[in-house]
Parts: sequence; structure tokens; C-alpha cells
Amino acid sequence: MKLSSNKHFQAWFKSPWTYVTGAILLSIFQIVTIASTGSSWGVTGPFATWGAWVYQAFGGSVDHWYFFSTESGQASLQRTFFTDPASVRNLGVIIGALLATLLASQFKFKKIKNMRQVAAAIVGGLLMGYGARIAFGCNIGALYSGIANLSVSGWVFALFMFAGAYVGSKLLVRYFMV
Amino acid sequence: MAEYELDCLGEACPIPLVKTENKLKELEIGDTLIVIIDHSCALKNVPEWARKHKHEVEVEEIGDGEYEIFIDKTA
Repeated sequence: MKLSSNKHFQAWFKSPWTYVTGAILLSIFQIVTIASTGSSWGVTGPFATWGAWVYQAFGGSVDHWYFFSTESGQASLQRTFFTDPASVRNLGVIIGALLATLLASQFKFKKIKNMRQVAAAIVGGLLMGYGARIAFGCNIGALYSGIANLSVSGWVFALFMFAGAYVGSKLLVRYFMV
Repeated sequence: MAEYELDCLGEACPIPLVKTENKLKELEIGDTLIVIIDHSCALKNVPEWARKHKHEVEVEEIGDGEYEIFIDKTA
């Protein structure tokens, strides 16, 4: 019998897990994250830190930037990639995703369909990255961790994210369905 | 009983689903639409949507991370 047709292999590695399984695992790992690192799960925070490290490596100084003026902001500048839990976790997310897709034999280099896709990816990525930093979080740090910490800000973020997703999907159907 | 193909390779959610919905509207009852995808989330939402609308659905893995979704229009 081929491994790929084994029902346990199918259930664990091949088929997507249910949303409920995902939700339970995310909750457990959020608890592990807070317990082991002292702060909630966030993804985009390290992007700004990485930017600052690169800027500093070229002789720049971000010491007086408002963004890094908090105690935790200053502390993040003192760390390195492998002593910064959030940076290591981001690397782990990428390695984990790669492992999952390889185990399911679904790895594939996807071809670029048209230049519009490229433009949308670049513009969308920049807007999302910039937005996540001025909002002090993305859908993980501000939304998921915000709500998990019983903060009202997480719900406010959710409200505006839905509004943004609504407008975004209208634009997508308008410009990308040709 | 015509057969149509919809190439959605390289396209991410929700484009394969929206394209499938639009294309299926043009088909006659009894026709088959083959949606070719390489995006794992379309593998979930396209068959889910089609089954909810009472169409016959079959999925075939044609390569690593590539799938053909056969949808028989029944309604």
C-alpha cells in the first residue's frame, strides 16, 4: 500500500486540518508563547526591528525615533536575530510551512500569471507592512493577540479590517477577474 | 454535455472561486467544468461552494500541488 493512500497519513499530512483544530492549536501556542517569552504572538513587529538593525549596520541611528522610544522598543534594538524570540518565531513559521507542504507533497514554484499580479503583490505588501506598523500590529499582533488579551483595541481592529477586506474584495473582483 | 476547462494555475484566493462561479453561470445543465488549480485554499473552497450548490464534484491530484476539480452542473 502506498503511503500517500494511507488514511492516517491522509488525515495528518495531506488533508487540511479543520478550522476548530487550528483554533485550538493557535490558542495553546498563544499560551505557550506568553508563558515562555513574556509577550503575545506578533509577526510584523520584528520587521521594523530588522529594518532598524540594517539601518544601524550602515551607521544610521534610530535612538531618537518615536517608534523605538518605548522600553520594549529600546530593548529590541539591543537583541540579535537569534536572541529575539519574535524573529526566531517568524523563521519558524516559514520553515514549518515549508515542512508541511513538503510532507503533503504539495510544494510547487508557482508561475507568475501577469504583471498585474506582481504590481498588486508589491503595492499590497507595502501597504500591509506600513499599515501594520502604524497600527502597532497586524491581524496577529493587533487582532488575535489583542482580543486574546481582552483588549478593546483588538475588536476595533477587527471592525476596520472587515471594512478593508470588503473594499479590497470589491477592488479585486473589479480589476483581477479579467 | 460539453466540457470546459478553467485554468487557475498561479492564482490565489479568492480568484479561482469567483472565476468558477462566473464560468459555471455560462454553462448548460449537464455540462462539466474542469477547474485547474495549484492553490491549496482553492482546493477547499471551490469544492465546498460547488457541493453547497448541489453540483457533482470530484477532485483529482494531477501533480505535486496541482489539482483538477471536476464540477458537473446539475442545477
